[in-house]
Amino acid sequence: MKLWAGIGVIVGLELRQRVRGVAWYVLLGVFVVLIGIVTVLVGLATTSFGGEDSGGWLYSLIIYFVLMLGTLIAPALSGNAINGEREAGTLATIQVTLVSATQIVLGKFLAAWIATLAFLVASSPFLVVAAALGGLSVGTVLVSLLVLAVELGVIAAIGVGLSAILGRPLFSIVVSYLAVAALSLGTLIAFGLGGVAIQSEVKATTVQAVYEDGSDSYTCGPPTVSTYSAPRFDLFWPILSANPYVVLADATPPQFSEYGSPTDLFTGVASLVRAVQVPPDLSPEFDYCNSATFEPGPSQEETYAKTVPSWFVGLLLHLVLAAGALSWAIARTKTPARKLAVGRRVA
Amino acid sequence: MSDTAGIVVSGVRRSFGDVHAVKNVTFEARPGAVTALVGPNGSGKTTLLLMLATLIEPDAGRIRIAGHDPVTDPVSVRALIGWMPDVLGSWASLTVRTTLQITARLYGMGATRAAARADELVRLIGLDDLADRPTRVLSRGQKQRLSLARALVHDPSVLLLDEPASGLDPTARVELRVLVRRLAQEGRTVLVSSHVLAELDELADAAVYIEGGASVSAERVASAATRARPWRIRALDPGSIAPALVASGVAAESITADATGILVPVTGEEHAAVVLAGLLQSGVAVTSFAPATGDLEHTFLDLQARPAEPGDGIRL
Repeated sequence: MKLWAGIGVIVGLELRQRVRGVAWYVLLGVFVVLIGIVTVLVGLATTSFGGEDSGGWLYSLIIYFVLMLGTLIAPALSGNAINGEREAGTLATIQVTLVSATQIVLGKFLAAWIATLAFLVASSPFLVVAAALGGLSVGTVLVSLLVLAVELGVIAAIGVGLSAILGRPLFSIVVSYLAVAALSLGTLIAFGLGGVAIQSEVKATTVQAVYEDGSDSYTCGPPTVSTYSAPRFDLFWPILSANPYVVLADATPPQFSEYGSPTDLFTGVASLVRAVQVPPDLSPEFDYCNSATFEPGPSQEETYAKTVPSWFVGLLLHLVLAAGALSWAIARTKTPARKLAVGRRVA
Repeated sequence: MSDTAGIVVSGVRRSFGDVHAVKNVTFEARPGAVTALVGPNGSGKTTLLLMLATLIEPDAGRIRIAGHDPVTDPVSVRALIGWMPDVLGSWASLTVRTTLQITARLYGMGATRAAARADELVRLIGLDDLADRPTRVLSRGQKQRLSLARALVHDPSVLLLDEPASGLDPTARVELRVLVRRLAQEGRTVLVSSHVLAELDELADAAVYIEGGASVSAERVASAATRARPWRIRALDPGSIAPALVASGVAAESITADATGILVPVTGEEHAAVVLAGLLQSGVAVTSFAPATGDLEHTFLDLQARPAEPGDGIRL
């Protein structure tokens, strides 16, 4: 059978079962209500102190919220795609037909992805509300939607892959959640612990102004040197590039105000992550005597501009993970099967 | 028989870790005939069928299905076989009709042809009333019929039926028997595994006995089949049977009785004719004279009672 014809039949089979079930509709309903509440609350907050053009903040918050709920729902929709069918005794009846293991796995992956994307579609009315508030750039909308869709696909692929690799549906769903947690929270924890564990000694030289009694005139005191240690987060920032939230933030085109501060959450998060790339000054000099040496630090926009983007590294890593999970799943679903896991049923 | 028709299996072996599910199975199943696969629970029948159905690979041995090798050319084999598993799985939320349509499409049929085929099969298996109900409402017997219909979707020339009659009521069993006989008469190769032996007796043209993962040699089957087995005799006056049998030379201690008649060991059809003639000559008004066990059941029980001796029958 032609590759796409077979995949199409499997996608149809999966989606038909999904739309007949109640669970998916309940999840969609809860999701829409949650997004609605968030939109209203954030809308009130941003318009009250953000004034005009607060659409960027609201839009980016909704997209982040969709990413969060999507990553929570995708493992449930994909994590038992293959072993669940095996438990129900229907996988073997598909395997004896003319569809190949590749078609079965890819069909199930696409169906899980489509089911997850439905949540993005359900959030579209709220995205329109955000756009109506103004201040939203076309680039931000296109790139963020694309990256969000790809990230949801990556999670669907990992879920489907694990459902073929692991025997028990409950186990594979839990491991899918752990994979999501490893990417979303694990990267943050690893980054934080790494930065704190590796510290460098900072030698700070301070010059104080010494005032003469009863007058405004002063002389500069002798330089004093103090040492302390500073965490080296700059050594661990690449870990953050594997975080889906960071990928999304870093990939969207930055939007800064005229004062160089972010005008949406993506740019805010990306600026924070970019700032971490800058190594700490290990021999700073604080001269409180010669006021001429006071300089304002770089704005967030300036920092952003002189640091490197990392989103494509993270995205590539995610795509490799997804492709690896799917190809492993195909190998495990191929029949006639040579090896079978202990206790695994064939039919 | 040539390799190019029916099922040819020789020296097939498959183990799962330490469990040697199938040790050495050799048999042939002809087209146009129903071949029974007979063996006790756990004798390897289902594993053997899974190998024939291209789902698992044998560790050793050779399988040909209409000339194709399920290991090297599973796609050709899949186009030819219809497999009815012993596990009754169905897509619970889909209707009977949709299930058959999707199965047809999985065999590469277009949507229109798949829909027409599904309608045909729904009528064939007598699930018209339930065609548009989700499969989760089906009873075990109805699921069994759906499973058979699924195996027939692409009009396969080789049918592998794993315990097709279990869960069926007597009417459905008769219908199944008629259907399977018809499918065989149309020239298909039908392999049926079951331990409902009375069922198979009326259905099967040939039998393959599996014992502890190995097929039983033709010689052992033949000797088991000719060994004495009980025949049941009934007469208008039951009391007249035993004296007449003793008079015609049957040992008195071999005659037993059960609730429905007198049982006497008989070694074959010729011996049966002699015993019956003796009864009639003694003036017994015989109303029934027939084997108390079916052919398959007799052979099966005899093989069970006399395990293979070392070097007996099984050759590698």
